[in-house]
Amino acid sequence: MTQQLTTITETLVERFPGAVLKDERPGYEGYLVSAENLPEIAQFLRDQMGYDYLSSVTGVDYLPEGKMETVYHFFRSTGGSALELKVSLPRENPVVPSLVSIFPGAELQERETYDLLGIIFDGHPDLRRILLWDGFDGHPLRKDWQEPYYEEEAKPFKSRWPEGRAIRVEEKNIFKKNVKYPAGFDPETFTPEGDTSLFASLDKLKRHDEESGMKSDHIIINFGPQHTSTHGVFRMAAAVEGETIIGLKPAMGYLHRNHEKIAERNTYLMNMPYTDRLDYLSPLSNNFGYAIAVEKLMGIQPAERAEYLRVIMAEFTRISNHLFLIGSLLNDLGAYFTPMLYALEERELILDVFEAVTGSRMMCNYFRFGGVARDLPEGQLQKIKDLAFDRLPRKIDEMDRFLTESEIIRARGVGVGVLTPEEAIAYSTCGPVLRASGVPYDVRRADPYSIYERFDFDVAVRYHGDVYDRFLLRFDEIRQSIRIIQQAVRDMPEGPVQSGKPQYQAKVPAGEAYGRVEGPKGELGYYVVSNGKPNPWRYHVRAPSFINLTALEKLCVGNKVADVFAILGSIDIVLGETDR
Amino acid sequence: MTTGSVWEWIIKSVVIVFGLLTGFAYLTLLERKVLAKIQVRIGPNRAGPMGLFQPLADAIKLIFKEEIIPSRADKIIFVLAPIITVIPALIILGVLPFGGIITLFGRQISLSLADLNVGVLYITAIASISIYGIVLAGWSSNNKYAMLGGIRSSAQMISYELALGLSFIGPILLSGSMSLHDIVAAQKPLWFVVYQPVGALIFWIATLAEVNRAPFDMPEAEQELTAGYHTEYSGMKFALFFMAEYIKMIAVSAIAATLFFGGYRFVLEDQYPILGPVWLLGKVIVLLFGMIWVRATLPRIRYDRLMAFGWKFLFPLALANVFFTAIGIVLEKLWLIPLLTIAVFLGAVVMVGISETRRWRSHVF
Amino acid sequence: MAFWDYLPIAILFVISAGLAAIAVGLGHLFGPRKPTPKKLEPYESGMNPFGPGTRRMPVRFYLVAVLFILFDIEVVFFLPWAVVLKDLGITGLVEMIVFVSILVVGFIYAWKKGALEWE
Repeated sequence: MTQQLTTITETLVERFPGAVLKDERPGYEGYLVSAENLPEIAQFLRDQMGYDYLSSVTGVDYLPEGKMETVYHFFRSTGGSALELKVSLPRENPVVPSLVSIFPGAELQERETYDLLGIIFDGHPDLRRILLWDGFDGHPLRKDWQEPYYEEEAKPFKSRWPEGRAIRVEEKNIFKKNVKYPAGFDPETFTPEGDTSLFASLDKLKRHDEESGMKSDHIIINFGPQHTSTHGVFRMAAAVEGETIIGLKPAMGYLHRNHEKIAERNTYLMNMPYTDRLDYLSPLSNNFGYAIAVEKLMGIQPAERAEYLRVIMAEFTRISNHLFLIGSLLNDLGAYFTPMLYALEERELILDVFEAVTGSRMMCNYFRFGGVARDLPEGQLQKIKDLAFDRLPRKIDEMDRFLTESEIIRARGVGVGVLTPEEAIAYSTCGPVLRASGVPYDVRRADPYSIYERFDFDVAVRYHGDVYDRFLLRFDEIRQSIRIIQQAVRDMPEGPVQSGKPQYQAKVPAGEAYGRVEGPKGELGYYVVSNGKPNPWRYHVRAPSFINLTALEKLCVGNKVADVFAILGSIDIVLGETDR
Repeated sequence: MTTGSVWEWIIKSVVIVFGLLTGFAYLTLLERKVLAKIQVRIGPNRAGPMGLFQPLADAIKLIFKEEIIPSRADKIIFVLAPIITVIPALIILGVLPFGGIITLFGRQISLSLADLNVGVLYITAIASISIYGIVLAGWSSNNKYAMLGGIRSSAQMISYELALGLSFIGPILLSGSMSLHDIVAAQKPLWFVVYQPVGALIFWIATLAEVNRAPFDMPEAEQELTAGYHTEYSGMKFALFFMAEYIKMIAVSAIAATLFFGGYRFVLEDQYPILGPVWLLGKVIVLLFGMIWVRATLPRIRYDRLMAFGWKFLFPLALANVFFTAIGIVLEKLWLIPLLTIAVFLGAVVMVGISETRRWRSHVF
Repeated sequence: MAFWDYLPIAILFVISAGLAAIAVGLGHLFGPRKPTPKKLEPYESGMNPFGPGTRRMPVRFYLVAVLFILFDIEVVFFLPWAVVLKDLGITGLVEMIVFVSILVVGFIYAWKKGALEWE
């Protein structure tokens, strides 16, 4: 690995003399490149060196140093560890070339970085705010931006702890009084700029059509935010001709609470329960990714038994998430709740295990740095064995038998929303969406973390990239997860579940780390920057269901209105994670 | 014609209308209970014993709901549309025989409202009218989902109506009459479903589309168009659409029972004509259960696929069914009909299966 | 005679229409009425609609609809024929076969031409 990195350094430095510098700060890795050379280097990385998968784009505000950085994580779609590029920018008017033309998957991520940090991506086709609304004042992830009722930089706030009394912000929170508007802004007369430009980009299609002499109108129609099948407050503005989709723009942020800003105020351990709320259908995977990122920074290894417990819990999470997806996808296809309720029945049994082991059914908060919170209670191992060896395999086969051969499901799924492998990689899709397109990329195999290399399992792949294959892939993955759980239960050693002493305050040395796991929805990455203080300096979540939406328009155009919801359902989004 | 018979008609009409309303109320409860049992749930159980007062509670709630007419909607059509939808559903059973002739208060009373010699034609005509209500509702709401729903319903109508119309021909051929009374009488020896298994199946599939039931509930497709054509309707106007759908379910089940399953006739009906309506109700409930079962089982198909299904599968099949029925009748060998039609049906299924499988196999991107 | 046959249907119609009108009236009478401009906006998943709700729209099934009218009339011809087929015997059957085969040829032509295809 070191050898390989040295070669990369040599190649890059040789190819771009003076433009590429190794990041020499302690605890940092990757390369610092100059802004003007970035597209060229990215192109070179993609075409010559095989780094064709741009996983994460984000930025960091280094206020004390008076600069900002954009951070790019590249991977090879054949596996391996990250290649990190950073571009140093001034805090005033930071401009960096956009990578959308080389990596279309950067589109939504660059918009997010622009929205939250104010970094302008030159050449981006549609640079608008994405998570926040258009009348919002400032860019909240900048370190000098302060929220309403700001108290201190970092928790615990002195007003609450150690002897202060709890004050609930809600009590101060009078509607409209806790919002900061830019100077001269009146919310009453405001028309959202974003909607105008959103519709304008769709309306262009119409004008083009009128030139060709057609007399019929395109309709621009909103699906969401208050819609039955958008899986939450997600919105799609679609231009339809008859019932055929000719353009579609996702709009999100209705559930945005700036997870990342709040997390930067929290201490490291305080964030652990907070990650549960990202993808609330698979909390333990979220815990997993965060724990790995922080453990990388701290340089510690979790206890052996804890590793097994982590794997068991994460795989159960995957099963429960996929069961939920299969049910809700069938619901989106119009099956009136029957598959959903049968799927939920099995999910309930898994949640029972979660409740017994972690204390909570959904907001589990189970992982700790260096281990897990508590060992299995008496008798739970038997329950897990019953589930993994008997009940779940049986029930999955049953559901498979009833659903996959259905003519209607085939007719609705085959050939609908097709994504080719090249597109899937270019759009930075991950997880089941990527694998259903024929790219056998699973972080558990491609860049193994925890103890996954000890288990014998297959990376589930399907090759058509349509809704039907994404649906079938979920069954394959559940079967593989059951295999992993069976092996983990068999091999799990006795011992402590926490390496070292449990501590409330993690001592995290300065540096950066990118920890990623294969969550049920795809690659879930946490980019954490520490400056040695009790709170993370930067905490970024690479949310799979957010980035998978980049490909949504590509998937939907040309299909029918009814298919849009099948496609959206097959991508599997959870708004808690998408909007953060 | 005497005043007496006019009063008789009025009373019969009132009985039919209120019978259908009661049937509608308890059909909603039946559906919810059956769905719940299929889905391992309990279903409504709060209002009254076993939730028996649930329909009443729903009705009272709907009466006291605010009614909204969206801005820029076509107000007159908007109000008329639910009425246009519900009237055909209520009057379609006017020609249906509910039983034989009973003696009540010393009077001979036939258990049907009217015996039209063009009963089947009347049914097809009335059944098509309710589509207008749906299309108008979608059009007048000034709502995009509603309009898409309305257009879907007309697309749906032109997909299934041909097959539906042709499936009526079988019983007419066999009985030689368009009067439903004659059709029931002709089934005294044997139910027509024996001669017309394929026709009955086509009729049943087409009526599922006719009443917008799953898997053909595209006009209201909750997951896609939120509520389709009745998105903007609330309170009693919404209730009328709901009522129309469920009453039409009862009506088409009763028509199916009459055309193919011997109508009100069953054991002991000859001796006790009063049993007629009971047997009819029994058959209707069995058919309704089938509809509910389908809803609990199948996802929705896409409306362009329905059009292909209706035109390329159901219509030729229905035509073949009529053709072989006619041959059987002319040759006076009725036993030929089921053999030939089932053979054609299986052949068609196999052909579709092969071509679809080939399509999937050859599917490359 | 024919008129008296339909009188019961007319009575049923009047009663049904009255009932539907009463139902709408009941809702009108008892339902609250507090319209606000926001409430009267057409529902579009909570967003302000862009453009009017009803406009010209391409209906892709126009050709199919024309074919539908054609074949629906064919079905209407079937009805009287079906009633008297037993009397007509083999002649009636042959005549109908001739009539239908012309239409079936048209149907196959339309099918092969792709008129039944969606777009």
